[in-house]
Amino acid sequence: MSLSNDVRQLARGFRWSHRPLPPKSAEPHHTFPPPTEFPTDWARSRPARVAREAILRGGLAPVVRHETTLRVEGLDVFDGLRGPVIFVANHSSHLDTALLLTTLPVEWQRRTAVGAAADYFFDAWWRAVGSALIFSTFPIERGGVGLSETPTRLLSEGWSLLIFPEGTRSPDGWTRRFRLGAPYLAAMAGVPVVPVGLVGSYAAMPRGRNWPKPGRPEVHVRYGRPLHKAHDEETRAFGARINTAVATLLDEDRSNWYGARLRAATGTTPAPSGPPVANWRRVWESSASPTSRRRAKAWR
Amino acid sequence: MSRPGFVLEVDERTPPLLLHSGESFRLQEFPLGSRVVYPPESLPGVPDVDEEIERALLNPIDSEPLPSLLRPGMRLTIAFDDLSLPLPPMRKPDIRQRIIEHVLEYAAQAGVDDVQLIAANALHRRMTADELKAIVGERVFRSFYPDNLVNFDAEDRANLTHLGMTEQNEDVEISKRAAESDLLVYVNVNLVAMDGGWKSTAIGLASYKSLRHHHNSHTMVHSRSFMDRHKSQLHSSAWRMGRVLGEHVKVFQIETTLNNDAFPSQYGFLTKREWEWSLRDQATYLGAKRGLDLLPAKQRRRMFQAMEAPYQVTGVSAGAVEPVHEETLARVHRQQLVEVNGQSDVVVYGLPYLCPYNVNSVMNPILAACLGLGYFFNMYVGQPLVRQGGAVILNHPVPWEFSTLHHPSYVDFFEEVLSVSTDPKVIEQKFEEQYATDPWYIHLYRTSYAYHGVHPFYMWYWCAHALDHVGDVIWVGGDRRAVARMGMRSASTFADALEMASDTVGRSPSITYMHSPPHALAHVT
Repeated sequence: MSLSNDVRQLARGFRWSHRPLPPKSAEPHHTFPPPTEFPTDWARSRPARVAREAILRGGLAPVVRHETTLRVEGLDVFDGLRGPVIFVANHSSHLDTALLLTTLPVEWQRRTAVGAAADYFFDAWWRAVGSALIFSTFPIERGGVGLSETPTRLLSEGWSLLIFPEGTRSPDGWTRRFRLGAPYLAAMAGVPVVPVGLVGSYAAMPRGRNWPKPGRPEVHVRYGRPLHKAHDEETRAFGARINTAVATLLDEDRSNWYGARLRAATGTTPAPSGPPVANWRRVWESSASPTSRRRAKAWR
Repeated sequence: MSRPGFVLEVDERTPPLLLHSGESFRLQEFPLGSRVVYPPESLPGVPDVDEEIERALLNPIDSEPLPSLLRPGMRLTIAFDDLSLPLPPMRKPDIRQRIIEHVLEYAAQAGVDDVQLIAANALHRRMTADELKAIVGERVFRSFYPDNLVNFDAEDRANLTHLGMTEQNEDVEISKRAAESDLLVYVNVNLVAMDGGWKSTAIGLASYKSLRHHHNSHTMVHSRSFMDRHKSQLHSSAWRMGRVLGEHVKVFQIETTLNNDAFPSQYGFLTKREWEWSLRDQATYLGAKRGLDLLPAKQRRRMFQAMEAPYQVTGVSAGAVEPVHEETLARVHRQQLVEVNGQSDVVVYGLPYLCPYNVNSVMNPILAACLGLGYFFNMYVGQPLVRQGGAVILNHPVPWEFSTLHHPSYVDFFEEVLSVSTDPKVIEQKFEEQYATDPWYIHLYRTSYAYHGVHPFYMWYWCAHALDHVGDVIWVGGDRRAVARMGMRSASTFADALEMASDTVGRSPSITYMHSPPHALAHVT
């Protein structure tokens, strides 16, 4: 073998950084101490709340309504409802948080904090400060580290929480498995869970985009009736009930309220995880805007 | 802290991996998804070796302390492992020297005059005076050589004694001096799990008459593996013989274990994981490899054979043979055992320049086969790394080259025997007796530095389990004629070898590469 071949082979293992890049299966197992949580209490202070309201109502809401065709259903669930609650929604786009916060009645929006991935939104100070100020985010560790005290404390202080229990944005627009953090928190704090179905946000602004697609794609936000954990209900079963409630809202959006109720009663609600078909077909279907599913109007 | 061994799964980040190939090495890219078994890193040695030896001699397991076994007027024999252990030879002072000096110190204090030291080389070649001196040290050598520091001679009928038969009708014939001593002290180096226990005395000091009961194709096929004493018929036989020996002579066994520091620091890259190579390691690799490629074969061999390992002692145990050996095995496992989940279709070994039988000599094709299919293949407990009917890919040049000084019977075995058959069973029936009793080979074994006439047969029997288990053996870079003589195939490159193996294991086989040396013992579940 020639010298150049030897050098070429060696170069494959060379690292300019002098830090080895071990193969994945050779990475050492570390048990990290719980990371220091980025402080976000300031984002719930009065000045921050005022600033946020100005940004959301004066900036973000008009932009959302300008860039998308927004339809909001089920706001009547807030009639007579007393906070705090935990909003649980399916998640497929960065648009989702903005959609929720800008469609909530203003008194709810003022007292809602959003759980955001610590490794994504809190990895750089500027991103952490920005998201905490605009969306009142607090960090949630996704790596199996023990639950932070912050969400429980916020609930006890009267703040409602918005949690996306899938942990991350769906890669294909369909709903993934719900983790049990939200039902666990609801059970711990004794607060109801309000399910929310989000439709069209994947088609409007999927992963990789930082602005909605042109053409004012249609997006729907559908709030459901609050769910309370029964005394003898296990957290896992409560979690399944929340999952079904979100699935029913998505079904209702595709069909109608009564049909969705009938299917829910017989346990035939279509799975929100989508059909078991090739990945491209899943992406194809969920990337179609809800508008295109509706019959074209005969007269405009 | 030493990191344990582990199984790497080759991914996009994995750099080319080091592969030994005789008196050279190279970097080899493996297909994505291949598994690589890495040995555990070196365990730390004991802080004070002399203190550890003293502790073992004065607090033996199931035995009185050594000083209380010594008395004036007694016959004391100290036997020790020959130069086949450890590999590479250990940097001075050898652990055997240190132990023997401690034992002799006690013997001198007790006024023991009749002391003989015997190298337990069985049918291995005699060691030269220099080789003996390297093992026992200058003081011991000067005090006992040549009269009372000797190589064991398995053909010296006058100095052999038949102690009886085991319950399975196996002859126990060993060194008369050892058998008739008041105390036989055995000093061992346990490099791998196969060494030690009753194998030390019942095999190291035995004659052909005894050895043929377990060094045969049937026993070897049913030793699964040699590294798993309880599943090795070879060891079961040695244990039966040892118990007969134990009825006649008090054996005080001293076993030592070494860590995985198999290469000097200047060759540190040989024991490092490739993705952790520093720029210096890479430069050393490049320099060493290019330098070796340029060196004439003779100088290259001299350079490798001069290599001494900076092994550190991880423990010394002394006392009754069997409990001592159990303790030793636990230490060997701690240093070498790697958990591996399941077998694969193909197993790959890179064979280094040295096996137990070519120290200061040439690794001929039979020894290369024995190293790959006898030793490396058997570095498992549980089940082999490769599935039944799978393929073994060995990396070695397999030169058609023999030492007529050390391996005269190998030359004839290769020419005459393997050209008739490569089946260990057929070879055993047709040729073994003739080679074992050939007067010329016996003469060379006794007076020169030749391995016994029957030794190449034993090497071939060591391969019997692998030959019985696998469907294909392919040598990468092997001399085509030499490999064909052994009934195997040769490939120019690793990719070609995989292509050739596809007849046996299909187009997308699972591959496991045993990244050794240093030694790893795969526990395959």
